[in-house]
Amino acid sequence: MRKPIATLVAVVLTAGVAVLAGCSKSAPEAAAPAESGAPSAPEKKTFVIGMSQCNLGEPWRVQMNKDIEAAAKAHDTLKVVFKDAQNDTLVQQNHVREFMNQGVDLLIISPREAAPLTGPVAEAYKKGIPVIVLDRALLGEDFTMFIGADNRLIGEAAGKWVREKLNGQGKIVELMGLQTSVPGHDRHDGFVKGLGDAAIETIFSADMKWLQPDAQREMESALARFPKIDLVYGHNDPGAYGAYLAAKAAGREKEMLFVGIDGLPHEGRVYVEKGILSVTFEYPTGGREAVEFALKILAGEQVPRNVVLPSRFFTPENLAAGGELIGGSDAPAAAAP
Amino acid sequence: MIKRSQRLAALLEMPFTRALIALLVILALGVLFNADGTFFRWDTHRDMLRHISRFGILACGMTIVIIAGGIDLSVGSVLGLTAVVSAKLSIHMGLSAWVAVPLCCLLGIACGALAGALIARFSIQPFIATLALMVFARGAAKFISGGKKISQGVETPEGFQYLDFPQLYEFLNAKILGDNVAVVTLVFLLCVGVSWLLLARLRPGRHLYAIGGNESAALLSGVPVGMAKVLAYAMSGLFASLAGICQAAQETQGDPEAGVSYELTAIAIVVIGGTSLSGGRGGILLTLLGTLTIGYLEKILSINAVGEAGRLMLTGAIIVSAVLFQRGRK
Repeated sequence: MRKPIATLVAVVLTAGVAVLAGCSKSAPEAAAPAESGAPSAPEKKTFVIGMSQCNLGEPWRVQMNKDIEAAAKAHDTLKVVFKDAQNDTLVQQNHVREFMNQGVDLLIISPREAAPLTGPVAEAYKKGIPVIVLDRALLGEDFTMFIGADNRLIGEAAGKWVREKLNGQGKIVELMGLQTSVPGHDRHDGFVKGLGDAAIETIFSADMKWLQPDAQREMESALARFPKIDLVYGHNDPGAYGAYLAAKAAGREKEMLFVGIDGLPHEGRVYVEKGILSVTFEYPTGGREAVEFALKILAGEQVPRNVVLPSRFFTPENLAAGGELIGGSDAPAAAAP
Repeated sequence: MIKRSQRLAALLEMPFTRALIALLVILALGVLFNADGTFFRWDTHRDMLRHISRFGILACGMTIVIIAGGIDLSVGSVLGLTAVVSAKLSIHMGLSAWVAVPLCCLLGIACGALAGALIARFSIQPFIATLALMVFARGAAKFISGGKKISQGVETPEGFQYLDFPQLYEFLNAKILGDNVAVVTLVFLLCVGVSWLLLARLRPGRHLYAIGGNESAALLSGVPVGMAKVLAYAMSGLFASLAGICQAAQETQGDPEAGVSYELTAIAIVVIGGTSLSGGRGGILLTLLGTLTIGYLEKILSINAVGEAGRLMLTGAIIVSAVLFQRGRK
């Protein structure tokens, strides 16, 4: 009995060492030039950026990391170290402290929650590490800048688009994102504002918690209950796609339009290109902009405190041209970087 | 007269009757809150069955494991892993169902057998062994998929390319018998049939009951305890992989996040049916009733567009009531 256990433990440990060796390859590379390169050629210093991501389980956040990685690749003075807190606030607190102790040159954080992460980030900021906060804001003043998109404006743009498309009247289904999350509320409130006083009736709405299978189930119920549905508004693209699958199974997908939000290149935009969604509204990740601002901060330049990212929408007509900015001429005073 | 009332009382004592009564109560709720007659349309029932089938398939494996005195927390993750692998094989590599399905099933069986071996050979508690597998399999799903959904759209330097939708998924998504039954529901019924054969008709099934009832006694009376345990977890892994293929077909893609917390729904189904969590007592027909009970509960809440808060509280309350009702037997 003992020998196999010893063998098993040995195998697991060996595998563990191998995996760690594989993963940490980039870290020493990242740190080494910073130390050795600094004395001889100070102007060619390599900056280490710590990126604390709250949850890589979401495709949108995977895209954010990809955007950061792609933008940083263009500058050989930047090395980015990524950490994924796997949707655990306390783990993310630890990640911030680890980056601080490691002495990174700049911290980018997309926090899971505002209150519990404000403290650790403030600590790092007061120690002289510039901090860029992405997507979700923190409390107080102890960070360099915030970059994020506005879900309310995006929801409003969706509402206006729907109002115009349906000529101000119709029956719609709303499949909402997690209703205990701020984006879920903002995408609803903005949408209602965008619809305004149009005679558009929401005949069925349900919380699909951002999940495609849940959206599919809720849409089945809506289809069973209502003989005529003009449009489905999904708070994210997987939700709108789930609704499409349910309608297709019922043979009713041609009767209605599908509207989604997020507009990820491999998800929402693909659905638009295939004619499944009529439109998707981009919720930009801000990854590229974060790296651009990081370069400015590291070069000692002044940056704005607050940047609202402009959002585009994609329809089959404008997809090839790279989409259009929402709002057109009366676009919000969004400061483009 | 006395005889008849005694017989009625005995009938009421049976777990099957109790589970049936719980289901009937839920159905009565559906009749009461029928959402403008939606509940009386067959489509509603067909869609309910299609939606709950994946959970039912998981619950079949869970029943086998629980009867043997164990628990399998890994089924949701193994479902996610096989959904990803199935999508890779079927969509990206374009393999035929005759190759892709057996490969996925083998993967599921291997996962289950690994957990079973850890439990039987190294005496790791089932909770811990399957918890470890749950974490590992989720990691494997994310690793194989690269953290992205495996879908028809593939990124190339020139933009997106679309691959064909596999015939296997087309078939699983189809409705047959005059559009009245979803194919995944038949897969579920097939799993119920296989589990019933194993548990009620075959010798290894009797071994599982013996182990769940009293493991030392089973060992002393010559039951191959280790082999039987590996078999139980391997069956659970197999069913999880079948559910994973169905999941990928229904989502039209392999999502590495698919199946999170599905194991809890599967356990709830088994327990509501009346199978004892302490092992040795229960059966697959109870699980069939439990599946229908949970399925109808979800559907009735959904067609009435009940808010999320209400749904969660009602579901919790009904699970407790159903279990108390089962326990109320003498």
